[in-house]
Parts: sequence; C-alpha cells; structure tokens
Amino acid sequence: MKNLILILTIATASITFLSFTTGTGYEMPSDKVGLPAYDVPDDVQEIIDNSCYGCHNTDSKSTKGKMKLNFDKLSDLKQSKQIGKLMKISKVVKNGKMPTKKFVEKYPDKKLTDDETTLLVTWADNMAVELSGE
Amino acid sequence: MKKVFYIIIVIFILAQFLSPKLPETSFSNPDDLIINNPEMNANVQDILRNSCYDCHSNETGYPWYSYISPISFLISRDTKLGREELNFSEWETLSKIERAGVIDDITDEVSEGEMPMSIYTLIHRDAGLNDQDKEILINWFENYADSLFE
Ligand code: HEC
Ligand code: HEC
Repeated sequence: MKNLILILTIATASITFLSFTTGTGYEMPSDKVGLPAYDVPDDVQEIIDNSCYGCHNTDSKSTKGKMKLNFDKLSDLKQSKQIGKLMKISKVVKNGKMPTKKFVEKYPDKKLTDDETTLLVTWADNMAVELSGE
Repeated sequence: MKKVFYIIIVIFILAQFLSPKLPETSFSNPDDLIINNPEMNANVQDILRNSCYDCHSNETGYPWYSYISPISFLISRDTKLGREELNFSEWETLSKIERAGVIDDITDEVSEGEMPMSIYTLIHRDAGLNDQDKEILINWFENYADSLFE
C-alpha cells in the first residue's frame, strides 16, 4: 500500500514536471512571416522570426500576446494604431520586457543581444517615423 | 491584552514619523493635455480628472488620510510610479509618435479594466468606469491619435 502511494506520487510528480518542460506553446515559424506592407531588412526579420513571432501571430496559443500585438495583422491596423504598436515594440524591447522572462529562461539563445536590441529598436522607431509621414 | 493594544498604538504613532513625503503638486501646467485641447468634450475631461488625474498628473488631490502612515506609503508610491509611466500634465512634451504609443497603452488598459487601479476605485467609488465611460474615453483618444497624423 505504501509502495503504491509512493509510485503514484512519483508518477504524478514526473507528469507535472514533464508538462512544464515540454508544453512550451512556442512554435518556430515555418516560413518568412507577416509584415507584408513593411520594409523589413533581413537581419531584423530574423530577430522577429526567432524571438517574437511565435507568440505574436494569428495562430499563437498566447491569447494575451496576440491580442496586444499580432505581426500578421499589424499592417491592417489604421495608421495611428500601427505607429502606436511600433512604438510599443520599441519600448518593451528597450526596457527588456520582451521576449518574456519565462521564454528567455527556456531558450537562452533567443534572448536578444545588445546588437539585436539596437537593430530592432532602431527599425521600429524609424518605421514609426516613416509611417507618420514626417 | 491591554499590553498588545498599547504596543500597536505606539507602533502606529512611531510610524507617523516615518511617513514619506508625498510627490509635489502643481496646478499650473502649460503642457497639460486638457488645457491644450479646449475642444475636448466635458464628459471626457470629467472622466480623466475623476479617474486618472490623481495618479497621472501633477494635480494630485491628497485627502486627509493620505498623510497617515501606512496609507501614505501606498499613495506616495502609486503617484510616483503613475506619473513616471504617464503624466498628462506634461503631455505636450511628447512627440506625436510617442503620443500614439502611449494612447495604445491607454486604450488597452482601459478596455481591459486594468486602469484605474482597483485599490483606487475601492475608496473612490465614483472613479470606476462603466462601459459607456470606457467607450467615451477610448473614442476620444483614438480620434485624437488619428488627428495627429492628418
Ligand atoms: C513566449 C511568448 C512571447 C514572446 C517570445 C514574445 N512575446 Fe511579446 N508578449 C507576450 C505576452 C503574453 C504579452 C502580453 C503581456 C501582458 O500584457 O502582460 C506580450 C506583450 C507584448 C507587447 C505589448 C506590451 C504592452 O505593455 O502592452 C509588445 C509590444 C510585445 N509583446 C512585443 C514583443 C516583441 C518585440 C518580442 C520579440 C523581441 C516579443 N514580444 C516576444 C508573449 C511573448
Ligand atoms: C491609484 C493610482 C492610479 C490611477 C487612479 C490610475 N492609474 Fe494608471 N497607473 C498607475 C500606476 C502606479 C502605474 C504603473 C504601474 C502599472 O503599470 O501598474 C500606471 C500605469 C498606467 C499606464 C501604463 C501601463 C503600461 O503597462 O505601460 C497607463 C496607460 C495608465 N496607467 C492609464 C491610466 C488611465 C487612463 C487611468 C484613468 C482611467 C489611470 N491610469 C488611473 C496608477 C494609477
């Protein structure tokens, strides 16, 4: 009886552990993604594909993530919204809020380097200025 | 039992000496959002002043209990952090594209019911936003954002 309880406990613990380690919800995009109407240089596109797009696309499992930002729909938004979203990309990347802490812990290699951060921030800022027509 | 009561009283009194200084207020803010947009509907002005300005402007109103520790710590912190994130008294100092970014934050926070903070509406019953208030506020900001880029 004692053994049975022990076995059940171990089984439950390992299943719980596994479900935490495997179910990541992050899927790498299979092809070049989103942003049809935008001029996106390859190096910037690569950063977005690698570290952002998986959570911020129409089929993402992260409901909150795609509600706040969906790269597939970004260029469908009205002008002021597009500019707003680009400025927020710039902000959250600058202050290190994105990609999320959990994600970076799981995929340390997808953490943005200083160079990547600068590239992405500069691109988003410039794109916002360009869209604003100034 | 009496002893415990006295100890609590003493701690409470001592805590008053630790009370933080509340962030300064100013009622003359030439870069204020409302002042610079005279066409803003009175409804929208009321909502902003009633539900946001205590934490997101220099015109913070401090009720009597704001000065009493430990409440003073909470109010001091929220006012400081709130102004850092968004200060309507300094609105005009933001560039147009910065304003568009902040407005995206505002419409998100308001539609999700994250702002005003729930601890605030607990005390300020009339500061809570109903669906109609939310719609009025969001519409105004969206139109304003569009007008920036015409
Ligand atoms: C593991 C999934 C994940 C990844 C990877 C990720 N995000 Fe997010 N992102 C989220 C979630 C979830 C939210 C909503 C968070 C919230 O509201 O607290 C979010 C919110 C945002 C927001 C809105 C922020 C706000 O305050 O409203 C922006 C902008 C954003 N992400 C940009 C990015 C960028 C740029 C990258 C890549 C550098 C990225 N994200 C990578 C999950 C992710
Ligand atoms: C009790 C004080 C308080 C009130 C009232 C309040 N806020 Fe805030 N607000 C804060 C604090 C503190 C923060 C920063 C910390 C946070 O995001 O929770 C903040 C953050 C924000 C942000 C930035 C959020 C982000 O994640 O970037 C926006 C936008 C905002 N508030 C809008 C509003 C609006 C609009 C109202 C009125 C409808 C309002 N707030 C009422 C205290 C307040």
